[in-house]
Amino acid sequence: MTLSLFILFLEQGVASGLVMGSVYALLALAIVIIFKTSEAPNFAQGDMMMGAAYVALYLLVFRKAPPIVAIPLTIVVAFVVAALFRGLVLAKVAKSSGSPVNLVIATLGFSYVLRGLVRGAGVGDTPRTFPPLASTDSIMIDQASVTILDLVIFGAAILTMAGFFWMFAYTKLGRAMRAVGMNPKAAQLVGVNIGRIHMLVWGLSGVISAIAALLISPKILMTADMGSIVTLGFAAAIIGGFNSLPGAVVGGFVIGVSENLVGLFISSRAIVVAPFVAIMLVLIVRPQGLFGGRTSIKKV
Amino acid sequence: MRSKLKTLAVALPALMAALSTAAAADPGITDKTIKIGMFAPLSGPNAAYGFDVANAAKMYYDKINKDGGINGRRIEYILEDDRCDANDLVAAVKKLVEQDQVFLLNGGSCSAATVAAKDFVVRNKIPLIMLNASGDGALYPPTDYIFGAFSISQYAVGGAMINFAEKTFGVKRLAYVNHDDAYGAWNLTGAKVDAAADKVDLAVESVSPTITDVTAPFLRLRASNPDALLIVTYARPAALLIKKAREMGFDKPIILSVTGTANLKQLAENVGGKGALKNLYIQDVLADAPGGPKIKWVYDMYKAAYPELAKEPDHPQTYMPYGVPSAEAIVRALKAAGPEPTREKFLAAMKQEDFDTHVMAGPVKFGPEERAANKSTVFMKYDGSSLQMLPGVYTTRWTYKN
Repeated sequence: MTLSLFILFLEQGVASGLVMGSVYALLALAIVIIFKTSEAPNFAQGDMMMGAAYVALYLLVFRKAPPIVAIPLTIVVAFVVAALFRGLVLAKVAKSSGSPVNLVIATLGFSYVLRGLVRGAGVGDTPRTFPPLASTDSIMIDQASVTILDLVIFGAAILTMAGFFWMFAYTKLGRAMRAVGMNPKAAQLVGVNIGRIHMLVWGLSGVISAIAALLISPKILMTADMGSIVTLGFAAAIIGGFNSLPGAVVGGFVIGVSENLVGLFISSRAIVVAPFVAIMLVLIVRPQGLFGGRTSIKKV
Repeated sequence: MRSKLKTLAVALPALMAALSTAAAADPGITDKTIKIGMFAPLSGPNAAYGFDVANAAKMYYDKINKDGGINGRRIEYILEDDRCDANDLVAAVKKLVEQDQVFLLNGGSCSAATVAAKDFVVRNKIPLIMLNASGDGALYPPTDYIFGAFSISQYAVGGAMINFAEKTFGVKRLAYVNHDDAYGAWNLTGAKVDAAADKVDLAVESVSPTITDVTAPFLRLRASNPDALLIVTYARPAALLIKKAREMGFDKPIILSVTGTANLKQLAENVGGKGALKNLYIQDVLADAPGGPKIKWVYDMYKAAYPELAKEPDHPQTYMPYGVPSAEAIVRALKAAGPEPTREKFLAAMKQEDFDTHVMAGPVKFGPEERAANKSTVFMKYDGSSLQMLPGVYTTRWTYKN
C-alpha cells in the first residue's frame, strides 16, 4: 500500500466513520437513557427507529407533506407512541412482576408489533429510498469524499446530543430524570412523579430514534429490518459504559470509525465483526465500559 | 361350488397383485391426480424472489389441467410459504412430504434456504425440482433427486459476467463484489475460472448481505483502478454500491447481476435517479426483455390467470416468468414417465430433458451428471426507464469436476 493510499483510506475511514458513528451514538444515547431509569435494555429501540422512518416516509412520499410539517409530526408521533407504550404496557408489566426480564420481553414484543405493522402495511419488504433532507452531492475534505447530506447528518446528530446533554444537566426535568435513575424511591419522596418521568424518558428516547431515522434512512435504504442497525447502538453503549451518556456518544464514534478502518485496512468481510472485537477488547480491559462507573454486585 | 372356487383362484392373485401394486405405488399419485408440493417466499422481505414465480408455475399447471391433464391425471398443487428462511423451508418440505404425501416437490426461490432441504429430500428419495433458486450447493455434486438452476446456476452467472465484461469492454482489471456466503462463493468460483481464461485481474470484495455502509468495500475496489465494476449481490447492497459509485465519481461501466434487479423502477429511485445509471448493464436470463415479443405469451397468460393481481402496482414481479421452466420440465417428465408414472420413472425422464422453454435465454438441459438446467445469460442496458437488449448469449467455462 502506498503512502497516499494509506492517507486516503485513513481520512475517508475517519470521515465516513464519524458520520455513521454519529447515528450509532444517537441510538446508544436513546438506549442508555432508558436503561438508566428502568434498568432494562429496550430491545425495541431499533424498531422504534424503523417505525419512525416509515411514518416519515408515509408523510413525505405518500402524503406529499412538506418536510417542515412531516419532520415535526414524525417526532411527535414517535414521542407519543413510545410514551404510551411505557405508560400503558410497561407500567403494567412492571407493576405485575417487577422483574426486569419481563420488561425486556415486553420490549421484544413491542419490536415485533412495530415490524408486523410495517410489513402488514405492504411497504416494508422492498428496499426503499428515503428522500434526503440535504443534497447528496459530494465535497472533498482533503482526500476524503463526503456528501452534504453526510455533513448535515453529523451536524444534526451533534446538535441533538448537545441539546439532550443540556436538558439533562441544566433543566428541572433533566435533573428529575437523573434523580429517578439514581434513586427512584428518594426521587419519589421529594415529589418526583416516577410514572410521568418514565413516560417522558421513553418519549424522549422515541424522539432520538425518530431523529436518527430521519438522518440515516437516506443512506441505508429502508426495509422493515432496518432496525437491526440498533445492534451497533448496543455495541456503542457497551463500549462507552451502559450507564454513561457521554460514553454512549464516544462508543458510537468508536464503532463507526473502527468499522470503516477495519473494512478499509483489513477486509470488507471483517466489517461485521469489528464492533464485536471492539466490545471484547473493552470488556477485557475495562468491563464497565470506557466511561462506566464502578461495577457493583447486587445481592439477591 | 367348483366354479366359485375357480373364480376365487383367478380373482385372488389378481386382487393380491392389485393390492401389492397399490402398496408399492408412490405417494401422491392416483388414477385421477398427481399431487405436487410447492414452496416459495410468499411473504417477508424476499417475497419478490418467489411470490409471482410460484404464481407462474401454478398458472402453467392450471393450463395443463385445462388441456386435459397428464395422461388423464389432473395436477393438484399445495403451496407453502417458506419466507426464504431455511427453517421455514425445511418445515414446509417435511409437511408437504409427510402430511400431504406429495408425489414430488417443486419449490425454492432462495439458494441457501433451498439447499437446507437437501439432506431430507435425498434421504427420503423425494424428487425436488427447484422453482427458481440457483441452489448450486444441492446440485454439485449431483444426486438422483434434486434438479435446479432453472433461472441459472451461480457458477454460470459469475463466469458469464466476466465473459461479457471482457468481450464488450475489453477489460483487463475488474472490481467484483459478491456476498460473503455460500451463494457468493459459488459465484466467485465461476468468475475466477473465466477471469483466468480471459487473463483478467480480479479485485474481489465480499460483503455481508446486511451491510449498511459500503464506503470501505467501494474504496478498496476503486483503489485497484478497475476498468469496470461487477456487482453480484442482492438488491439493497447493489443499490448502495451504485449510489456510492455516483457519489465518488466512478464513471466506468457497472454490471449488475440479476439478483440485484428485483424491482428496477425502485432501483432507479434508490440510487438517487438516472444519473447513477448512465453506465449500467444488467445481467438477465430471459429470452427477451420483460414483456418483449418472445416471452409475451407468459405475461399474457399471467394477466389471464390473475386479472386482479396484474392490475396492482409492481405486478407481475420482475422474476415472474422464471416460474414457468421448472413447471414445463415437470410436466414433460411426467408425460415421459408414461401412464403409470413412479418417482423412479419420473427422475429418469428428468435426467433426459433437453428442451427450449421459450422463456429463458438458454435451454433446459440435464444429463447423467448434470442437474443445473440453465447456464446461459444475456445482458441489457438499463438507463433508469428503459431496457435495451444487447446481442449475444454468455456462459461460463467453469465445469464441475467430481
